[in-house]
Amino acid sequence: MTDNIRSLTSRLAEEPSSLAFLELGEALRQRGQLEAAYKVARGGQNRYPGLADAHDLIARILSDQGDLAGAFDAWSDALRLDPLRTSALKGIAFLYYRAGDLLAAVEHLERAAESDPDDESIPRALARIRSEARRSAPGPRPPDASEPAPPPSEPVPEEPTNGAGSESPFGALEEGEHGLLLVDSNGLRLGGTLTTSAEGEMGDRVAAQLAGLSREAARATRLLGLGAWHSISVETPEGQLVLSAPTAETVLLAVRDRSLPMARVGLLAERAARAARTWLEREA
Amino acid sequence: MSAAQTALDRVTRVPGVRGAIILSASDGLVVAEQLMDGIDGRAAAALAGSLVGRLTRAARSAGLGEPAFVQLRSEGGSILAAPGGQDVVLVAVAGPEANVGLARLEMLDAAGRFV
Amino acid sequence: MRALEPWVIDPLQTFLDESSARLTLLMTSSGQVVAQHGFSRSLDVMTAAALGAGIVASTDELARLMGATRFGALVHHGVRQSCMLSAFGTPRGRWIGLVVFGPETSVGIVQLFFDQMVEQLVTIAPREQAPAPVLAENFEGELNASLKALFGRQ
Repeated sequence: MTDNIRSLTSRLAEEPSSLAFLELGEALRQRGQLEAAYKVARGGQNRYPGLADAHDLIARILSDQGDLAGAFDAWSDALRLDPLRTSALKGIAFLYYRAGDLLAAVEHLERAAESDPDDESIPRALARIRSEARRSAPGPRPPDASEPAPPPSEPVPEEPTNGAGSESPFGALEEGEHGLLLVDSNGLRLGGTLTTSAEGEMGDRVAAQLAGLSREAARATRLLGLGAWHSISVETPEGQLVLSAPTAETVLLAVRDRSLPMARVGLLAERAARAARTWLEREA
Repeated sequence: MSAAQTALDRVTRVPGVRGAIILSASDGLVVAEQLMDGIDGRAAAALAGSLVGRLTRAARSAGLGEPAFVQLRSEGGSILAAPGGQDVVLVAVAGPEANVGLARLEMLDAAGRFV
Repeated sequence: MRALEPWVIDPLQTFLDESSARLTLLMTSSGQVVAQHGFSRSLDVMTAAALGAGIVASTDELARLMGATRFGALVHHGVRQSCMLSAFGTPRGRWIGLVVFGPETSVGIVQLFFDQMVEQLVTIAPREQAPAPVLAENFEGELNASLKALFGRQ
């Protein structure tokens, strides 16, 4: 055991609530002692669930252990706490790259570059991925069967791991599920799809932007003395969005182009919210 | 009368509108306000600014560009927002009986003049 | 988040939850730290407290020269992070808040919930006699004791 690890271990033993777990966990990880690193990091994360550093450390350890799904979740948590965290953006970009989703990898690296323009590794990684993207066929490659299961290519599984079934929340609607998203409070997609001809499927990306929206809307109306919120309509030059909360823990997004009047989009959203509530009750 | 004051006057004359604010989008701070008693302009600017910012990111990520008009409906009324140019947003707080259609037209016209 | 006095915890936690502040330091006007969130090194806390108290003292003096009342808050806008310094009265004397925040929130939100936190702190602060001035010979001991508490080394 090196002197540094010994000293950090003593410090943590004396004061279990110290932030020394971050340095110790990283030192153990770099030495390849991943089990020990994970125990230290998890202990620290339990004490400091709101510390992005802790989630970032756990993500690096899980990535080294080959648990890519766990690493993705941990880096996502780090980003939720610190949306500009470069290391988490790079980590998730790496996972997407491993899974063959080059578009998502580039997007995350571009965000990392904005956050930390001095990090020279980012432009190098971007150049490499863009070069591969130009050479490869459009869209993400199917993952190599010999690699570990690539959860980042399905960061939100079509069959959610919360125990819900395979049926779409909007399966009963005549409009189908396109242009509808059901998102949980962590910004993860529960169902529905959102695609454009230019960008392809972007439901997961949009879902991530909706994390915490319900809480923020509730806060605004509460503090301004307007009571509970029930929907948000957004008009843009390219389309219209309606957001509502089918349950306290979910947000529904309905998107349509400008050809449909906003009030009609609102009615669609209400029908979709009823369908989503029924589906959630059934799947709970 | 300044352009800001003209905009606020027009919006607050709409029946049911309890107040209007012009805020700096990036800071969530009040630039100008015209509010009835009981409405906290500073809170409205900060909260509406933050919400509009979040919705702008969501709209952009959906490939729909920048929001032109936002309505947050609640039990007790609505918060209406019309982003203009130069990093400003025009926000109105409206009661449940407000003529939102008219408020929307006035706000879109006023926000268009902030470019 | 760590605080020397338990009654500070709830208002400060609410502020952190609502504002999304990255770093927060509450200190007395002499730079003695009362609570901190987000700092991982005691040296950073000490330095930030000393600098923050110094900046507030300087701007108080500037306000006095200008014939103005004290400034309510100072905000420094950065490219990736911004910083707010705000001094406020409590039954325990004048305190200073130093808040570092990023573009995921706004100065309007930070100020709104900071002021709410101040109201709560003023309301719930125990009404005790002001503590005796700390003598120089006790100062280092008091400082070390505070830092140990703030970093979990009681």
